[in-house]
Amino acid sequence: MDNCILQVDDLGVCFHTEEGRIQAVDGVSFALHEGETLGIVGESGSGKSVTSLALMGLVPSPPGQICAGRALYRGENLLAMPPKRFSEIRGNRIAMIFQDPMTSLNPYMTIADQLIEVTVVHLGHSHREALKHAIEMLERVGIPSPSRRIFAYPHEFSGGMRQRVMIAMALSCQPDILIADEPTTALDVTIEAQILELMKQLQQSQGTAIIMITHDMGVVANICHRVHVMYAGKIVEQAGCDALFANPRHPYTLGLLKSVPRLTQATSARLATIDGQPPDLAHLPIGCAFEPRCGYATPECRQQSPQLQDSEDADRFACFVDITKESPLKDPHV
Amino acid sequence: MSESLAGIAASPHPALLEVRNVAVHFPLQRRSFGSAAATIRAVDGLSFSLAEGETLGLVGESGCGKSTLARAILRLVPTSAGEIFYEGRRIDSLKASKMRPFRQQMQMIFQDPFASLNPRMTVSQIITEPMQIFRLHDRKDRQLEAMRLLELVGLNPRFLNRYPHEFSGGQRQRIGIARALAVKPRLIICDEPVSALDVSIQAQVINLLMDLQQQLGLAYLFIAHDLAVVRHIANRVGVMYLGRLVEEADAEMLYANPRHPYTRALLSSVPLPDPRSERHRQRIVLAGEVPSPDAIYPGCKFVDRCLMKAMDCQQQVPQLAGGDHRVACHFAWDEERYQASLAAANQKADIAHDPA
Repeated sequence: MDNCILQVDDLGVCFHTEEGRIQAVDGVSFALHEGETLGIVGESGSGKSVTSLALMGLVPSPPGQICAGRALYRGENLLAMPPKRFSEIRGNRIAMIFQDPMTSLNPYMTIADQLIEVTVVHLGHSHREALKHAIEMLERVGIPSPSRRIFAYPHEFSGGMRQRVMIAMALSCQPDILIADEPTTALDVTIEAQILELMKQLQQSQGTAIIMITHDMGVVANICHRVHVMYAGKIVEQAGCDALFANPRHPYTLGLLKSVPRLTQATSARLATIDGQPPDLAHLPIGCAFEPRCGYATPECRQQSPQLQDSEDADRFACFVDITKESPLKDPHV
Repeated sequence: MSESLAGIAASPHPALLEVRNVAVHFPLQRRSFGSAAATIRAVDGLSFSLAEGETLGLVGESGCGKSTLARAILRLVPTSAGEIFYEGRRIDSLKASKMRPFRQQMQMIFQDPFASLNPRMTVSQIITEPMQIFRLHDRKDRQLEAMRLLELVGLNPRFLNRYPHEFSGGQRQRIGIARALAVKPRLIICDEPVSALDVSIQAQVINLLMDLQQQLGLAYLFIAHDLAVVRHIANRVGVMYLGRLVEEADAEMLYANPRHPYTRALLSSVPLPDPRSERHRQRIVLAGEVPSPDAIYPGCKFVDRCLMKAMDCQQQVPQLAGGDHRVACHFAWDEERYQASLAAANQKADIAHDPA
């Protein structure tokens, strides 16, 4: 496809800590196309948030360091861009929504001042234009009586409303790419439904591409077109949303899907689990990072780390075993 | 006031835990001289009972009062009204010294496995401290008991002398469970015990809680906001909204046939991990947000966000009524009315989305 607006190749991010070098993101590559929603799924420590911070140039350095790769946004490499040029793009063409709407707004500034700042800086609006635009944005994200509420401080807003303000801010300049890092995790389900609905509507009207970072398979199923599953800093599976849920190819994806409690499942049935603990990034095994928890593991898995390989339908997964043909060697504790 | 008493009188044995019309109000400071002081009605007249070995799930959104209720049952906050009974004995008005034996029977598991373990105590100290307080076992036996408990919750007994920071979130939650079990309680109040954990670890802890219940005959009051988790573990489920129970039924029944408009909206809002059904699902997106708990509602508290509201709803408090399936809604069983209101609301929403 040629409407690719972000091409990430072999991204690596590491952190230098007391325990040694930690490779938080390792060889991540993907393409983002116009108007699509790409999900990045994984558990804590899988590197999904660090990936997004790297794309925004927000990895704290030190201790963090981007140690490999490039991220081409319309031909320009974000990772090697002069800071001045990057700040023209960040918040303007590429915007981000963070998980915690309580801490990502400045408590000392009114909502108006925070929203105005964006368009004054990036679009060169006058104060009056910017205010008008900010009120319009609040209206679009569904804040009631925006022309009055805009002069409130963040603490006067509820969590759901603050997240709406964050979305309004992120979309102020009609960005090409919106990176949403767990945007609904801190919210209640009825508010989550409202926010997801809002993001879909705005994507349709503006054609924004969304990178949705989440641990919630329900959110993925709701909003994403394509999904990347991360484990221990690597992408272990890339697939279309339907294919991933219907036919997971990596044992970790399979385990993750099985261990999600479902509304439609009979009460008091035991949940399938993934044995063991998430890996310690400071002491990763030589072979596949998932091998110690994997029911399908073979001796080969302990010696060599599997690379992403194409399957017949252009989806990719990093596993030596074809789980659609093999049955698990260990009992997967169903 | 007598909404729940009928069901209780019918059962021959007193329930393990019974809560009758409990309210917890927090008075706020007056804004200015002469103005009326507002009151936060965190729990506002709520009744349920919990039998031995049973799991009652309590679900609701933030601010609905579910955690306050848990704290009130353990007398960590005082109740403003109502009665709490443990095995038929009233405990909400007991002196601290009289309450003590009951504290051994009721333990709590907390949400945050990082904040709920003292970072300066070893696992051994954490687990044996409750035994010391209640003078259980000899000093020597306490170590053995702690090792047995660690094994029971699926941790290696060799971890006894380690500190909490050496463990992952899921392992810490297991330590918290071992600590709760140390005094051999019969009732455990679990306040969002898995919501801070990753999915794969969450499943492990839920399975552990279910195994322990079978082995030890524990009763759980399981408080969570995740409806799918609650469905898995609970025998019965109560749905809370602004300090009141709006619906309570057998888990199977509640999820298959929710009757309260709030329960319906809540269930339809949960994103399902299945893209195909997610696309074809009818979602009831509730307008607005949970109102502030200091608002005064003469009638139903859900009225501002409800599809079906009528004049009556503003004035009359709907009582939690019904046998096995209790619902606090004037129109709970009027399916025709519900479908008509839903169709009307959808039509309105379509017009709003598409002004052309």
